[in-house]
Amino acid sequence: MEPLLETQDLTVRFGGVVAVEDVSLTVPPGEIRGIIGPNGAGKSTLFNALSGVVKAEGRINFDGRDIADVPVHRRAGLGLRRTFQHVRLMQNRTALENVLVGMHLEIPANPLKSVLNLGGGVSPDRAARDRAREVMSFLGIDGLILRETGTLTIAQQRLLELARALAPGPKLLMLDEPCAGLSVPAVQTLDEILLRLKEEWKLTILLVEHVVSLVIDVSDSITVLDKGRVIAEGAGDEVMSNPAVKQAYLGTEEVDAA
Amino acid sequence: MEIHRLFTNRLFTPALFVALCLVSTATNPYLQYLLNLILVYVVVAVGQMIILGFAGQFAFANAAFMGIGAYTVALLGSHFGISYWVSLPAAGVLCAIVGCIVGLPALRLRRVYLGLMTMGFAELCYWLFLHWRDLTLGTDGVKVEAPTFFGIRLDTDDAAFFVIVIATFAMVLLAKAILASRYGRAFIAIRENELVARCNGINVPLYKTLAFTLSGFYAGIGGGLFALAVRFVAPDTFNLLQVVLHFAIVMVGGVGTLSGALLGALFLTMLPEVLRGTQAAQEMMYGVLLVGVIVFMPKGVAGYLIERRILPPEVLVHGWREEVRERDGIPQADAKPSTAE
Repeated sequence: MEPLLETQDLTVRFGGVVAVEDVSLTVPPGEIRGIIGPNGAGKSTLFNALSGVVKAEGRINFDGRDIADVPVHRRAGLGLRRTFQHVRLMQNRTALENVLVGMHLEIPANPLKSVLNLGGGVSPDRAARDRAREVMSFLGIDGLILRETGTLTIAQQRLLELARALAPGPKLLMLDEPCAGLSVPAVQTLDEILLRLKEEWKLTILLVEHVVSLVIDVSDSITVLDKGRVIAEGAGDEVMSNPAVKQAYLGTEEVDAA
Repeated sequence: MEIHRLFTNRLFTPALFVALCLVSTATNPYLQYLLNLILVYVVVAVGQMIILGFAGQFAFANAAFMGIGAYTVALLGSHFGISYWVSLPAAGVLCAIVGCIVGLPALRLRRVYLGLMTMGFAELCYWLFLHWRDLTLGTDGVKVEAPTFFGIRLDTDDAAFFVIVIATFAMVLLAKAILASRYGRAFIAIRENELVARCNGINVPLYKTLAFTLSGFYAGIGGGLFALAVRFVAPDTFNLLQVVLHFAIVMVGGVGTLSGALLGALFLTMLPEVLRGTQAAQEMMYGVLLVGVIVFMPKGVAGYLIERRILPPEVLVHGWREEVRERDGIPQADAKPSTAE
């Protein structure tokens, strides 16, 4: 099958520091790819390079086209959506407004339609609101739709950020440490959501996460980064028993799944 | 009864319009002039609110746009005899274009640097109004021709009121529709975090330019209405004090709320008049009151009133109140989507 995402020799340099070096990834559609590695391995930089936030050398093919020179907002339009390591939501706006920001491109740009609502009976944001409610209800947070974001718990905010990324119906979802700051039950909830996204939405997901048990549980395959390079790739057990991974990732012989 | 429901009632806007028209029949010339000025400043304030309060750009060229708008109307009328009905929209369009141009270097500048650049632009415009005597007549100022409406000369404050009130309502309702659409949400998203905005498909430079253009349009129309309200345009009106006034209107009114632009314009236009009786203490009282508002109402008057559920919350989504009705049984949500807990 044609891969959804394929990078070739992706390299990101910050001055003299090479944060990501010659990373070649091939992610087929419908796969959840876990990306793990110690702090500073280049996981977040890889995400930034894929979403276009930082400049990268090398080739990035997404959905059959080369997107290396495509600006950030266009990549989002092509169906490449992400969340952030630290939740980045509009804190003093409602949950609904946050989700609708994610649906910016799904709402007609024509101001006669989207502003003045000429030639249409229903309100111009109607379809987007319905979609937002649908996605939020899938994530179990539809009750919070009109709550001010700053009043939500961190777990709710994580889900809201996920809703913002899911609402436009992305082709590739990149989750940057979605479990950071979550309690054990909240991680469990997320685990179930990710599996449902794979089963029901057939969504392709790149998952950067430190909670290795979650990564092993949901991922079809795992890529291990260390010092900007790919040091191992494969199925969960296979990767975790790889001596190079044990050495780099944990610094010991013991693999603790938590 | 909850007061905020009054404002969300469908009849509120028409009722306010009728009420203002009725009030204007009972005013003396001074109060009529003041009422006109307040309405003019509402339009001007919306311009500053869009760029500063919504898009979060530290731009202070609003006073300059207002001046350009006012001079456009005055000069087109006096030099070329062009009708007010043509020169008013022309003022808006011209200022939108200038706003767009001023916005271009702003794409590379942030915060204080943008503030300095735009303040410099405001000073430059003031200097031009003052010294380009061939065009602007310098300190002599320009008298504004009274517009005629089907043969009736609108040369009194009472007559000008009807033009101003209709234009103000139209402009505010338009702003409300724009801000509740994907355009307003894009502005806010850019204000909150440009990186996130980009990752959500928002073309940040385009929307910043749009915010500048729109802000210029509002200030330009506001300036054109100002020319009609005062009937005389002189450079000194558009000096640094005007810049500070627009900034204060947004801060006192409440950043990022449309009602803030309205309330800020109302208070800061009335305040000097109310304080007129205190003579020498006027400026001091003015300063103290401003500081007081900022200290005790950090979200501005509108933010304060929204928190106390006197004003309705502003959610930037068309028809968001339907959400409330559709999942009724949680009645408090209609009121305030926040801070309840």
